Amino acid sequence: MLKPNAPLLPTPSQTIGPFFPQTFFQAGDNDLTRVSAAAAPSTRGERILLRGVVRREGGIPCVNAILEAWQADAAGRFRHPKDPECALADPDFLGWGRAWTDAAGGYEFHTLLPGGFTDAAGPRAPHIELAVMASGLMRTLFTTVFFPDFPGPNEADPVLAAVPAARRPLLLAQPDGEAAGCRAFRFDLQLRGGAETPFFVE
Amino acid sequence: MDSLPDRFDPWPPGVQPVVPTPGYPGTFTHSPAEAPIRRPAGRGQFTGPLDLDRKLPCDEMNLATPNPGRPAIGQLIHIAGRILDEDGRPVRGAVVELWQANAAGRYFHPNDTTRDAPLDPNFIGNGRVRTDAEGGFGFFTVKPGAYPVPTKEVWWRPPHVHFSVIGPASLSRLVTQMFFPGEPLNPFDHIFMAVPEAAARQRLLATALPPAEVGAGWLGFRHDIVLRGRAATPPC
Ligand SMILES: [Fe+2]
Repeated sequence: MLKPNAPLLPTPSQTIGPFFPQTFFQAGDNDLTRVSAAAAPSTRGERILLRGVVRREGGIPCVNAILEAWQADAAGRFRHPKDPECALADPDFLGWGRAWTDAAGGYEFHTLLPGGFTDAAGPRAPHIELAVMASGLMRTLFTTVFFPDFPGPNEADPVLAAVPAARRPLLLAQPDGEAAGCRAFRFDLQLRGGAETPFFVE
Repeated sequence: MDSLPDRFDPWPPGVQPVVPTPGYPGTFTHSPAEAPIRRPAGRGQFTGPLDLDRKLPCDEMNLATPNPGRPAIGQLIHIAGRILDEDGRPVRGAVVELWQANAAGRYFHPNDTTRDAPLDPNFIGNGRVRTDAEGGFGFFTVKPGAYPVPTKEVWWRPPHVHFSVIGPASLSRLVTQMFFPGEPLNPFDHIFMAVPEAAARQRLLATALPPAEVGAGWLGFRHDIVLRGRAATPPC
C-alpha cells in the first residue's frame, strides 16, 4: 500500500495520436467565458477572439491538433485556491477551453482579455497559457500568448524576459480585425523550423 | 485545500520519451528543433480548472455495453486505477479521458481509414470520468486489438489504451498510453520504447489482476497514473 508522501515517479508522456475522439468535443468547449455549455458568458471584461493556425515543419498545416487554453480572469485572478485572491475571482469565468484544428490547421478561442498579476516570479503581463497536443508530438508543448496592448508590462514580464529577445515577438498575438463585434487577435504556432514558436519547460 | 500541488520539479531523467523519436517519422516534422526555454513554475502553472465536470460531461465509464444488452465484441475487461501526484497523494476530481481501438484494432474515428478492419456497431471506444475522493477511476471496455501504422517501415502498435488526464494544476496535464503486460509487440513499438528507462516503461504497463479477485464477468487490470506535482511544504 502507498504511504502518504511516498515519492513516486511521474508517468511518462505519450503522443495523443491521430484518433483523439471527435465525439469528446462539444460546441462551446473553446469558449473560456462560460463555466458550462448552458451557462451565460461572463461579461466582466473585454470579450476577444484568439485565433490562428498551427503548422509543422515546412509550414504545413497541422490538422487535428488539440489546444488547451488557461488564463486568469480580466482582473488577473484564478478561481483556484493557489491564487491568494481566489475568493474574488470572477465566478462566471471558466478560464479554460479546448479547441482542435480544422483541415487548414486553424483554431479559435472565445475569451476575455486577461488581467495581469504578480506572483513569486514577478509582475506578470496579461497572458494566456496554451498546451499543444498532436499526433507526432510525444510530449505536450506549453507556450504563452502575450498581447500588444501592454508594452510596458510585457517589457517587465519575467517569463518573456527568459526568451531570447529576437524570439519574443513570436509570443505576441497580433491584432486581427474584428469578429462578431469583438477584437480578434491572431497567434500562429510553428511547431518546428522557421519562425519556431518558443515553448517552455519547468 | 493544502492537498493541491505547488512544486514542480523537472522531469526526472529517463522518463520523458526521446524526441524526435526513432522509427516514428511524424515526430521529425512536429517536435520543436529549439530546446525548450526553462522558466519558473508560476501561478498560471500551479492553477488549473477544478470544476471541469460542468464543462465536460464526466459520466461515461461503460464502453463495453453502450447499448443495453448488446455487448461489444472482444475480451471484456475492467481497468481500475488511481490518479496520484508525485507525493503519492490521491488526485481527486481529476478528469480522466480514455479512448482506444476496438478488438479488431480499428478506431471509431473518421481518420482511421488506412485499412478495412471492421467497426463494431456496439463499440465507440471512448469514455470520460472524474476521480473520486481516493483518486480512483474505472472503465469497462474490451481489450483493444493491435493495428499497423501507415509508415514505410512495417510498424504495428501493440494493444494500448490512450489516457488524457486533467489534474488540479495546468502543469499536471498528462497525455499518455497504457500497455498490456507480456504483449510480444511491446518491445517493437517505437512509442513505448521511446521512454528510455526500463523502470519508466514499466509504469506504462497495466497489472493483470488474479482472476479470482475479479470474477467470471471480465478480466481485471489495475493501472495507476502519477501526475507531475508535489507539495512545497509536505503536511507533517
Ligand atoms: Fe492508438
